[in-house]
Amino acid sequence: MQATATGNATGNATGTTVDMLVDVAGLGAYGPGGEAVAALAVAAVIGTLMLTNTALAGPWAKRKITAAFTDRIAVNRVGPFGLLIIVADAVRLLSKELIVPEGVDRPAWDLAPLVIASSALLGFAVIPFGSGLQLADPETGLAYVFAVASIASLGLIMAGYASNNKYSFMGGLRAIAQNLAYEIPLVITGASVVLFTGSLQMSEIVAAQTAPLFELGPVAIPSWYAFVNPFAFVLFLVANMAEIGRNPFDIPEAPTEIVAGYQTEYSSVYFVLVYLGEFIHIFLGGAIITTVFLGGPAGPVLPGIVWFMVKIWGIFLLTQWARSAIPRVRIDQLISIGWKGMLVLSFANLVLTAVIVGVIAG
Amino acid sequence: MNPYMVPIQSLTVQRHMSNPWIAIGALAVVAVAIPMSMMVASRLLRPSVPEQGKRAVYESGEVPTGDTRIRFNIQYYMVALLFVVFDIETVLIFPWTVIYRDAVGEVGLARALLPMLAFVGILVVALAWAWRNGAVRWIRSPRATKQRVDRQ
Repeated sequence: MQATATGNATGNATGTTVDMLVDVAGLGAYGPGGEAVAALAVAAVIGTLMLTNTALAGPWAKRKITAAFTDRIAVNRVGPFGLLIIVADAVRLLSKELIVPEGVDRPAWDLAPLVIASSALLGFAVIPFGSGLQLADPETGLAYVFAVASIASLGLIMAGYASNNKYSFMGGLRAIAQNLAYEIPLVITGASVVLFTGSLQMSEIVAAQTAPLFELGPVAIPSWYAFVNPFAFVLFLVANMAEIGRNPFDIPEAPTEIVAGYQTEYSSVYFVLVYLGEFIHIFLGGAIITTVFLGGPAGPVLPGIVWFMVKIWGIFLLTQWARSAIPRVRIDQLISIGWKGMLVLSFANLVLTAVIVGVIAG
Repeated sequence: MNPYMVPIQSLTVQRHMSNPWIAIGALAVVAVAIPMSMMVASRLLRPSVPEQGKRAVYESGEVPTGDTRIRFNIQYYMVALLFVVFDIETVLIFPWTVIYRDAVGEVGLARALLPMLAFVGILVVALAWAWRNGAVRWIRSPRATKQRVDRQ
């Protein structure tokens, strides 16, 4: 059986879900208003999808995975496999009293959870989920997603500064130091992939990865950029770990040093939003990696969206593995790794990729 | 060219191409509406029992001392300055990566690659200079260094 991993990839020809919905429902006659209605419907679907993933990951999967790594049994009392703990936790956390600490900087303290949660969700606008689910496909897709993903840093410093807590303040400052150090390697490594595609459009980046790289017996290995340029893939994975603040780069909230960093003073729904934002951010990082390096929704037999979910959950598992297995680096080590290691390596990768692409194309 | 002299519009299927930024705006609305609705749901559910004691900030169970908004040694301000330089540079690198492949075909490898190599080279030299002068090092405060010596 010829198994190709290219069957379900969405090319540019299919257009976005909004276009499809406008055509099917005949909303084109209403101009931008009709588009906005269609876009809101698709946006609601994407928002619900990511919220469901986060609800599954936060209160349930994270506990189960960590328990499996440390040889314990986690949530198993409420519902099958303990799954109803998600409902129980949602009710529990939302019905907690909101304690506003003394001396908080009020507008900033209230806005920070909103900024953290919303900005992470906004990144999914350009992600091709497969099976025709993609909200928007601007030509600057990759630049957009990098830009939106870094808005969260603003929320972190707001939370850290406004909380009037020394641990929160330290956490906020650490988050900024970390994001400054790893943003450039992340973006430069992303740019090295653009050298292959010649486009920042997400659908083009996915379409460029459908061609078979080489045949391995009956299986055609697709030209996913993780296979084409494994060096860039590893660099991007590491920079992404730092960008989303997971081990070994979780010093912004290092629980054994600074309580919980910037989220120390948040309770009730604000804590839920900060926590939710972090998880959506992990999934956004996974979605960027999947789209840019793992062929997006491409995969055999199953529908594209299933493959996409499998891949972003794979990246999530990787972060949880790192959380259980790798010790945290110190802040000075973090700065050294970022500015002396990752930055130099990412530029070496960019220049080498440019030379190789140039020699092949020339 | 169209050999039948028929307007192109009648041959191609009319496909709707919507403005991507309207769609992104719609997600922005949803992305704010979801947290807002959670805040409203929580407001309806949660109790409010104001007490003086529990409003103190949590500093590991100790009574909080002093204010947080003090002059603080931000040890990476040099790194932050470097970041601005490199961030602007990524803005300049992105357009180059988009056209690079076509440019190699049109004007040759040397003209497409060498100017960017020179540009990146200058930046790498600058980074090396900053590195040598200790700008990308976590500066230990004099007090922390003194404490370390005291402990020995």
